[in-house]
This record gives sequence, C-alpha cells and structure tokens, in this order.
Amino acid sequence: MPQPNSSQKSRELRHLLLEALVVVVAGLLLALGANAVSSRGIKITRDYFSALNPPPAPPPSTNKATENPQVLPPTTNVTVETPLPPALAQAAARLQQRGLQMATLQQALQLYRDARRLSGLVVFVDARNDRSYQEGHIPGAWQLDPYRHENYMAAVQPVCQQAEVVVVYCTGGDCEDSEMAAVMLAEAGIPKNRILVFAGGFDEWSANKLPVEKGARMPPQQSQSK
Amino acid sequence: MNNPPNKPSTSQFAAWMAVARWIVAALFIWMGINKAIEPVDFLKLLRQYDLAHTPWMLNLVAATLPWFEIFCGVLLGLGIAVRGVALVVVAMLGPLTWLVLQRALALQAASGSPFCSIRFDCGCGAGEVWICAKLLENLLLIAVCAILVMVREGRFCLRFNLFN
Repeated sequence: MPQPNSSQKSRELRHLLLEALVVVVAGLLLALGANAVSSRGIKITRDYFSALNPPPAPPPSTNKATENPQVLPPTTNVTVETPLPPALAQAAARLQQRGLQMATLQQALQLYRDARRLSGLVVFVDARNDRSYQEGHIPGAWQLDPYRHENYMAAVQPVCQQAEVVVVYCTGGDCEDSEMAAVMLAEAGIPKNRILVFAGGFDEWSANKLPVEKGARMPPQQSQSK
Repeated sequence: MNNPPNKPSTSQFAAWMAVARWIVAALFIWMGINKAIEPVDFLKLLRQYDLAHTPWMLNLVAATLPWFEIFCGVLLGLGIAVRGVALVVVAMLGPLTWLVLQRALALQAASGSPFCSIRFDCGCGAGEVWICAKLLENLLLIAVCAILVMVREGRFCLRFNLFN
C-alpha cells in the first residue's frame, strides 16, 4: 500500500482541523439557539450572583447599636455557644457583613411553632429550585428561587412586607441561595432586621424529621390541621 | 484457503471502534442532558472553579457547554465528522480534566483526606463522584478519542469525513 506523501498528509491535517472548526462553530451556534429557546435557559447578560458581591462599605456611624437592631424573636434563647462548622461560620460572617442574621435550627423551629406563623407574621421562604421545592419544603413556605426571582417576587414580596420575621432557607451546607434570596428581599424593601437566614437549611430540617410539605404550598392553617 | 490474516482482525477492530465511539457518544449525551435540564445548577458548579471573572463569560460557558456536549455525542453516535469531533472532545476534555484535578487537590489540601477519598460534584453531569474514578474515566475518554482521531475507520458511520 503506498504511503501518503507529505503534501497528502498536510492536506489531511488541514481537512481534520477544518472539520473540527466546523464542528465547533456549528455546535456553538446550535447550543446558543437551544439555550435561547429553552425555558430554563441561562440569560447570558445577567449577573446571577450579584447578590453575593461584597456589600459597599457602610458610612461611618457613631452609634452602631441602633443602626441594625437585631430582632430575633423574643422566644429565642440560645445560651449555649457551640463552634459553628467552617461553612456555617463563613456564612454567618458574610451575613453579618450584609446586616443580616443567621438562625439556628432551634430558632427556626421556634419560629415554625410560633402562633404568629398562622397569621402570616412569621413567614418561611424556600430559596431552592422548583424540583427541590416540590419534593418537599417546610410547611407553608413560599418559594423564591433567586435565579428566577422574577417568577416569584411579585407573590412573595407583599407577604414578607407584612411579616414581622422572614426566615429564608435553601439546602444548607455550602448553599448560598438563601443568602441571595435574603439580599434580594432586602433590596425589595423588606427591613433587614426582620430577615433571618436559616443556614442549616432543608437538609438539617428534614434530617431532624421535622414536618415537611410536598407539592404546592398550602396556607399554614391548612398544613397545621394536617 | 485461509482468509487473509488481516481481514477478520480489521473488521473486528472496526466493530470495537464503533462500540467505543457509541459508548463515548452515550456518555456525552447523558452528561449533557443532565446539565441542560437544570443549567443554573451547572452554572453554580462552574462558579466554584473561579474561571471567569465576568458574569457573561461564566453564563456563556454554562449555557453552551451542555448542548455542545449533546451535539458532539449525537455526531459521534451517528458517525458524522468523527475525527473532527474526536479532536474537539480531546481538546475540551484535556483542560477540563486538569481543572477537576486542581479543584480536587484544593479540596484535599483543605480537608487533609487521602486523594482518592475526595468526593465532590465536579459539574461533569453525573452528580457527586469519587475523584480517582472521575480522572480515570476522563483519561479513558481522552485515549479513546485520540484513537478515533488517528484511526481512519469509517465503517458504521453515516459520514466519516466532512471533507475528502
């Protein structure tokens, strides 16, 4: 069998590279088109993580105590200080920087059992995506997926505006979605001192075999009677 | 009387190459679909690599890579532009594998665990994976695709070359 000469080889190489280039260009065009028509597609120009950017430095103030009064519910009484896992400690520091507070499981549970929840003065907000929310959420929790906040904010914002305490959670662990949702709520006009981020999230909640509601949200009165 | 010695082994080789190509194609389609179903989850995983410093660049990768993988998988499965696709896959998988390795090394340094006990979601489309298994899988994929680039075996293909 005759061996290909060098000009044949270089032509083959050119064809191979051209073929790869055609694949890349066609693939990218098709991928952009598919993303554009997909209902779950990414919006290229949007900054999905803007809520996690470091907040601007606060103006100097002489009285920091009155600047951001911490209004954890009066029923909350956490006296034992246990060291937080590194991820939670980092989250707590970030939240503090933003003037937000972190809630522990005990605090979240106390608020869940608080009678004010039935009248909408204590509101839980789930910052996970549709699939996770449908699979199970804290009973009565409203959904606010921060990556698709435009779909939820109109319903959630008025509810949170009327509430005395808003507890936001996501999966827990390294999840930052509850922080993002909390920042978005604050930007939408909910006073920061009313917002708590339950950092343990749904994983910690369900691991402690606490009540879980599946499917669509039911008003707290209904979920309570179940 | 006897068959030429190269005939059976050549057709056997063609069959093996086709099977290998279909396995790579199936993997790419499966992993691409897993990412394309919830691209925001993929975006969050990509962000961990701290690759892009502008949001649109990160978004662009998260928006296109899943569909691009599906596209490559379909072409490989059908046997269209096989060598070109395989070359693109090698060029794509090499740097991605390097990034996964770097991330795993960072996680190992942070946790102090043995390297092969590191398990995390690398954003590859298969959820949480053991790092050593993932690296081995990627190296195998790279090796198979490198063979596909080098070998001109066009049987079981719709259009092996785009340009002749």
